[in-house]
Amino acid sequence: MPNISDIKVGQVLRSEFDQITRELLQKYAKSSGDTNPIHTNDAIAERAGLKGVIAHGLFSSGFIIKMLDDFVGKSGKLIELDIEMRGMVRVGDILITEGTVTKIESNRVYLDIKQTTITPVEIKKDGNVVKKFEAGERGYISEKDIARNLIKTKEVDEGTLTYRERVAAPGHAIIELNK
Amino acid sequence: MDKEQIKKNAEFLIKELPSMEIPGVAKVRCKYKKMVDFAKCFGITDKKYIGSEEEGIIACPAFANSYAVKAFYTLVPGVKLEQDGVKRDLALVPTKLLHASQKYNWENCFPIKPGDVLIAKAKFGKVWVHEESMRLFAQMFLTVKNQNDELVCQITAGAAIAAGGY
Repeated sequence: MPNISDIKVGQVLRSEFDQITRELLQKYAKSSGDTNPIHTNDAIAERAGLKGVIAHGLFSSGFIIKMLDDFVGKSGKLIELDIEMRGMVRVGDILITEGTVTKIESNRVYLDIKQTTITPVEIKKDGNVVKKFEAGERGYISEKDIARNLIKTKEVDEGTLTYRERVAAPGHAIIELNK
Repeated sequence: MDKEQIKKNAEFLIKELPSMEIPGVAKVRCKYKKMVDFAKCFGITDKKYIGSEEEGIIACPAFANSYAVKAFYTLVPGVKLEQDGVKRDLALVPTKLLHASQKYNWENCFPIKPGDVLIAKAKFGKVWVHEESMRLFAQMFLTVKNQNDELVCQITAGAAIAAGGY
């Protein structure tokens, strides 16, 4: 359990989630009551111009709350979370949530929040596509993503992975630890 | 919808909405199973959120996502607007409505237990338009209390409606 004296400005909390599936979005829709079909029905999402289902905006924010709550544990509580929802989160995305401590005042800890999505597109070996992910199949990558230099590559076991990395939700949070 | 009409509609909403109280209240009953199923979506294993009903649990903080959405779905259709003598909805094309931001404040708030009935009231805050894209932004404040009139959460939601959608 964290102690206020052990926390330092610049400290980073981090969590990663790579299990965003259609089944999970359906479960979330049912338990949250957010049953807008653009989150669960590809045909309806396509008719809305989305090329496929998108995660609920608040679904991904739930992982920010979980990360902060896991950190605080029994030693305190969440006071505030303020986020912007800038980028759609999709099935197959890897969701990386980070909170950087920016200020400590009394027993309150202030954090900058950044939630990033890694969207795998395809893997190429010797110039040939050996694996195509959902983003590649459905065309989730836009000209705007390319223009903004969000498309990157890295070497993986099967070849060269092309992926998009973008900030989906920046924001701020305040947690309070027990004195 | 032409540019002149979009501009006219934006001016109407910027004048009418700020500080407008949304009529009525939304009631959200918090059931044990829903609270646990919700927590499990995020892989939460803490017994205080997913333990047995007999031992007693409280809602995980992320559960705010659930009652916020239910409250807005209940309250927003109650917004009655009349522009130039014609009744209209806030969003004319619902698919152009996006959830742009969310702020939760739990300061001095009480935890939620199974069986609690949450009562939410909402009002509009600032409303503005991004001149270049003519995207309209609206803030909505939601105050959520339990059946004992104890504060559970204060929420500020930001909605964005693309040009032609309002």
